[in-house]
Amino acid sequence: MSLMSKQVTVRLPFLRFKFPSAILLGMLLLSAIILATSIGAVSIPVSDLVTSRLTEQQQAVLFSIRLPRVLLAIVVGVALAVSGAALQGLFRNPLADPGLIGISTSAALAVAIVIVFAGPLTGLLGLYSLSIAAFLGAIISCFVIFRFARLSGKFSVTYMLLTGIALNAICAAGVGILTFLSNDEQLRTLTFWTMGSLGGALWPSVIVAATIVVPASILLIRSARELNLLLLGENEARYLGVDEEKLKRMVIIATALTVGAAISVSGIIGFVGLVVPHLVRLLLGPDHRLLIPASGILGASLLLVADTIARTIVAPAEMPVGILTSLIGGPFFLWLLVKQYSGRFGI
Amino acid sequence: MISVKNISYRIAQQRILDDINALFDAGKISAILGPNGAGKSTLLQCLTGALKPDYGCVTLDGRNLEAYSLVDLSKKRAVLSQSITVSFPFTALEIVLMGRSPFTLNNNSSVDNEIAHETLDLMDAWHLKDRSFPTLSGGEQQRVQFARVLSQIWDQKNAYLFLDEPTSALDLKHQYKVMEIIQNQCVEKFLTVIIVMHDLNIAYQNTDTSYFIKNGQVQVFGASKDVICSDILSDIYDLPLSYAAQHVNYGRNSSHV
Amino acid sequence: MIKILISFIFVITSTLAMAETSKRVVSVGGALTEIVYKLDAGDLLVGSDTTSYFPAEAANLPKVGYQRTLSAEGILSLTPDLVIVTEEAGPSAVFAQLKTAGVELLQLKAGRSLSDIQENIQIIGVALGKSDKSRELAAELEAATAELKKAALNQGTKKRIMFILQHSGGAPMVAGMDTAASSVIELSGAENAVGEYSGYKPLSPEAAIVIAPDIILVTTQGLEQVGGKDSLLKIPGINLTPAAKQGKVIAMDALLLLGFGPRTADAAIELNQRTKDL
Repeated sequence: MSLMSKQVTVRLPFLRFKFPSAILLGMLLLSAIILATSIGAVSIPVSDLVTSRLTEQQQAVLFSIRLPRVLLAIVVGVALAVSGAALQGLFRNPLADPGLIGISTSAALAVAIVIVFAGPLTGLLGLYSLSIAAFLGAIISCFVIFRFARLSGKFSVTYMLLTGIALNAICAAGVGILTFLSNDEQLRTLTFWTMGSLGGALWPSVIVAATIVVPASILLIRSARELNLLLLGENEARYLGVDEEKLKRMVIIATALTVGAAISVSGIIGFVGLVVPHLVRLLLGPDHRLLIPASGILGASLLLVADTIARTIVAPAEMPVGILTSLIGGPFFLWLLVKQYSGRFGI
Repeated sequence: MISVKNISYRIAQQRILDDINALFDAGKISAILGPNGAGKSTLLQCLTGALKPDYGCVTLDGRNLEAYSLVDLSKKRAVLSQSITVSFPFTALEIVLMGRSPFTLNNNSSVDNEIAHETLDLMDAWHLKDRSFPTLSGGEQQRVQFARVLSQIWDQKNAYLFLDEPTSALDLKHQYKVMEIIQNQCVEKFLTVIIVMHDLNIAYQNTDTSYFIKNGQVQVFGASKDVICSDILSDIYDLPLSYAAQHVNYGRNSSHV
Repeated sequence: MIKILISFIFVITSTLAMAETSKRVVSVGGALTEIVYKLDAGDLLVGSDTTSYFPAEAANLPKVGYQRTLSAEGILSLTPDLVIVTEEAGPSAVFAQLKTAGVELLQLKAGRSLSDIQENIQIIGVALGKSDKSRELAAELEAATAELKKAALNQGTKKRIMFILQHSGGAPMVAGMDTAASSVIELSGAENAVGEYSGYKPLSPEAAIVIAPDIILVTTQGLEQVGGKDSLLKIPGINLTPAAKQGKVIAMDALLLLGFGPRTADAAIELNQRTKDL
């Protein structure tokens, strides 16, 4: 064949220059974990950690506060970044993020309702009342999207987007009304909840969130190949053997679950779902088989670093971590845009 | 062989396809022609399984199209759609490799890589393989997509190839090459090719059978060289006979290699 | 300060001018409403805001809304002659509207100290023609203040108290300096455990451990919002404080504790007593 004359060495393109970057990401996560575990109001130096020479106070802090918080940051970071990457694939748009389809706003509305109206409920469910409300809000939005996306019979991505826009508007209005009806304390509760915080990390929250996020994220990672094909177009994916209806349903459900779980334990943390996959795509390319897991790792690392800053920069008070991710994410995103569009015209 | 029996397709009250019957023989190249809005693309979609007709049925190799699983179908037939926007920076090679995905699970085996390189080379796009797909010109993109589609059925026997306006973005040189490749593949691998197209010249020169669709119905069909003539053209396209005659003469006069 | 003096003079002259007319009064702000009732002028009130829920009669008054989101028409619908507000009330445009409508406006300082409260009692007393009663009330407050000072002095080591306003799932909202909670804690002879910042801010859970308060103070409403004492003591960070380990939680009504009204001295005394008892 004519191939011989070209003297091609057929390498597996999938693994081309990606390995070094992947290892780099892994090391980044590891450093972030070590950083987050040792820095805090109660200092736990790495040397003491390794040699297990910890005071009783350090041990108590480590096991009942620091570790759950580190693990929670990882779980939430993975949840947001992985679902962001998958949604960008589903909508075939690198500007998509979980907030687009109304999941976060619905969760916020549910939380606002509980804060303003359901006093007795908080008595019953105590510390977890807001978490349960947020999760339910996210799941309900999923049902609404399903209902309306199927209006034309087929599961339409366009209808999903439109439903998301409407849902966002309605829920935002609802939150507005509840804000109006709230008193000072309720308002403050709601405001800080919507800014996101990992300060409430408890072992039960971490375990429950992980139980939802891990399987759903694995599902999304395993759909990577099909998401690649979906980028060619819905019909094209079908021609290549992908049941794209099933794929769409699965991605939306998995996203609602992961994002719902993340929001329920940490409030609304923005930009991770949008910027992290974008960044990974710049470094490692658009192949979802690498993009989705790598986004998870980078998301976890970033959130760990942001949270460490959030709880040390104005100590003893702490900043809501959602502010930091937006503060860093916003300008960073602008920089990304400038870098990309000066010269080339592909994304 | 694909046989189409009495298929109709309707959107709201509009009948897009109205009781269509057709037969597409194996190893032959068939053209679906007709004016805009006649229902050509809809017909193609019913043939590929993308749309389910409201009435009637389509059989592929004697079996109802709906009886095939998506995966089985993907190993039997490949489809090149009209225009595909890919806004993610996959390389051309990665796009072509996607065509092999019905046969591989997650890792691309070396066979798939070889096939991808071969088809790219065949489509005169091998030099583009590491370029970012969205940065390619319209014609280059179409050639890469064609390579992908070819890769999908490259090693299959008696496969089917559906093309929707495959030469629309190509320059004359590549138009010629592509039709030549289609013909060679058809002969070598006993492919059945169905093309929706506008270019009557190409249809005349390179296809065996032609179907003229107008208002959702098959108006005329038969051997391309018989059916593409001035009377039929003027009827189908509502043209004055003289204009139609010009068009057909042009086709007949150009020499075919 | 000047604004207060001007209002003072204005009120005196206008009161003298219409000494016999029975005024229709709207009171905005829980503390101010309490003062009105304490001055036996409750029957003059035709409306109050949602933070005015003590005494019980105050809760039954027509409500003009939340003190920071008042509406001029709502207030005007009660045809008041006088509206008593603190500088915390708003929005400010409403007051301009009320003045244009010919309603008398009495703007008082938001109480942050016992002397502030004394001042407010005086001013309101004059405005409502209850100067005698206000002197009585002032004397009561003086006595309570003296008792408080005595109790505070007999403290021994000062207890370190942390006030938690609410918890929304993240870090708990804790009172720093310059807050009503902080002032009451200090009045009661104890110490605000959190001295590093001002205002209400989310407190990093680990910082709570380092601060190690002896007692946790909450409002009864806040305790309910969190889900009870058990839930409160499970909040990350709080759970490892000495207060949580010994179960030392004090809950008091929000208006009583934070309102800085006439019952503030009593609130401080109660806090002092309960602190001693724990």
